Amino acid sequence: MISDRIKSNLRQEFRQNLLPKIGLAILVVVVLMALFAPVLATHNPNTTGHFDDGNSYPPMGISYDSYEVVDGEREPYSVEYSTEHYLGTNNVGQDVFSRLLYGARTSLLVGILGTGLAVAMGVPFGLVSGYYGGRVDDAMMRVADVMLAFPSLVLALALIGVFGSLSIPIPDPIVAAGFAEGMPSATILPGTITVVVGLVTWVWFARVARGEAMAIRNEEYVKAARSLGASNATILLKHVLPNSLTPVIVLATIQVAAVIILESSLSYLGFSGTTLSWGYEIQQGQDYLRTAWWVSTVPGIGIVLSVISINLLGDWLRDSLDPNIEGEGGGA
Amino acid sequence: MLKRTLQGILVVWGVVTVLFGLRAVTPGDPVNLIVDPAVDQATRERIRQELGLDQPIYVQYADYLQDLLVGDLGYSYQASRPVSTMVIERVPATLELAIAATIVALVIAIPLGVISGTRRNEPADYGATSFSLLGISTPNFWLGIMLILLLAVQLDVFPTGRRPVAFHDALWTFLTTFYVGDLLTWLHHIILPAVTLGTYFTALITRLTRSGMLDEYGKPYVTATEAKGIPETLVRYKHVLRNTMIPIITVLGLQLGQLIGGAVVTETVFSWPGLGLRLINAIHNLDWPLIQGIIIFIGVSFVVINIGVDAIYAKLNPRVLDE
Repeated sequence: MISDRIKSNLRQEFRQNLLPKIGLAILVVVVLMALFAPVLATHNPNTTGHFDDGNSYPPMGISYDSYEVVDGEREPYSVEYSTEHYLGTNNVGQDVFSRLLYGARTSLLVGILGTGLAVAMGVPFGLVSGYYGGRVDDAMMRVADVMLAFPSLVLALALIGVFGSLSIPIPDPIVAAGFAEGMPSATILPGTITVVVGLVTWVWFARVARGEAMAIRNEEYVKAARSLGASNATILLKHVLPNSLTPVIVLATIQVAAVIILESSLSYLGFSGTTLSWGYEIQQGQDYLRTAWWVSTVPGIGIVLSVISINLLGDWLRDSLDPNIEGEGGGA
Repeated sequence: MLKRTLQGILVVWGVVTVLFGLRAVTPGDPVNLIVDPAVDQATRERIRQELGLDQPIYVQYADYLQDLLVGDLGYSYQASRPVSTMVIERVPATLELAIAATIVALVIAIPLGVISGTRRNEPADYGATSFSLLGISTPNFWLGIMLILLLAVQLDVFPTGRRPVAFHDALWTFLTTFYVGDLLTWLHHIILPAVTLGTYFTALITRLTRSGMLDEYGKPYVTATEAKGIPETLVRYKHVLRNTMIPIITVLGLQLGQLIGGAVVTETVFSWPGLGLRLINAIHNLDWPLIQGIIIFIGVSFVVINIGVDAIYAKLNPRVLDE
């Protein structure tokens, strides 16, 4: 499926460039954070009330000035950080570090599952459209045009209006095995958002798969297979699909990054199915920028680093495999 | 051009139909959104009849299309005002934001991309490529909040949001009374939102300009102009940059959806009273006539602008007319 030439290209590009190495290093850290969140977290991310006299703890190494009113006079005092809360606490006294770890889970889960759904819908659609061509292709591409007439964020919002917000609890094996006491027993997958990002991004995969199928259907080996009596279904599965995978893989990589941004945007706008999401946390912190700036700042750094790492790896794949792919790209 | 227009009409019809379908499959009784759920059955029936909800679905669809053709988008459940008015009154704010963001993007990105593309692997190039990687990887709502934190909360040089005056009103005041204060207030308030929305596009266009310039420089005609002794600056701007703009315009047309989606988020961050903010509220309230109205408007603008982009594209690159 992946030829030796491609493999050696990938290896060579990786060895010669610093950027894919940086990308891989960051991504490994983010994935480990997400996988082992229950073990790495210092507090249950949902437990509230870690305060210093009603003030959020700042991140370690930072203190800030607050005041209390005594007999009508402002008495200034300094709020010191707590060594228990590495990145401080938020406006309701939840541990920011632990929420950062769990937020990585949500982002990666939605990114991977949502993109997987888009691939599963878009690739067969595009292959059939491109392989048969003619009227079938015309009709299918008009459907794709309608999809493209909606900005993905706007279509996602409309679909959320229909489905409401559905949350699916996934039992956490690490907690179930008894390795992390006091942590949430299930990870909440924002079901609606996952389905919706798949529904709004499949069309990009359809376009890429269609282009590949159109190019491949007239190749000699496809003609040979046809003259040997292979059915269209066999040709599609055995020849067209495997040969169109490379650009699909490149696009899927970039789309995971785009989906992470889309998920965080939808959560920011208040349509998350879970409160353990970076976008939700940023929205919560926006009202407290004057007193607790870190609540919005920390999860945003998480998003930017994850997206950069995936984009760097996507660039590496694209440079080594196929220079001619246009994805939807990053931010909403 | 005629073919593109017909295709556009087909797409718009598709958008309208999809939205009608979405509304039809949404669970819950819309009557509950208009009146107190405790109201008696007779009143509920009367409202259902007024809205045409007692009709079969295909009759509702036909009615809806018929109303649309004369520009009637129905009434908002929540506000009981005509949807068309509620859409139109919010267009200027969004348009101001989108245009300002595009200006920010073009003014910064094209020089940056040219520098980056002509000084490959020099410090300026590394700076520009790092900036563009960061720009396409940062969600714009977070960028907006960080700008507010730094420039509004900490340094207090810009307001945290809102739009105290509309551009057309400020302009009118200036033209009639020569009072420039309103225009300055408007400018002061739009800078942060415009930078927030424009950064992604700045990053994207920088990237495209850089790689486009590099591609063009490799072509024989550039070597030929150099051999003829044409000044380098002239070659750079008259030939190389011009040819680079062709793919950029195509990509920008495709990315228009990102601009609109980005505007929805940016308006929320800055309480900027545009269509996006209204759409978010409509979805929170499940106000379907308003949701449909706003999204149809966006879909139609999208199609119209894309046809426009194609026309510009054909002008810049006459070869496409042959296809």
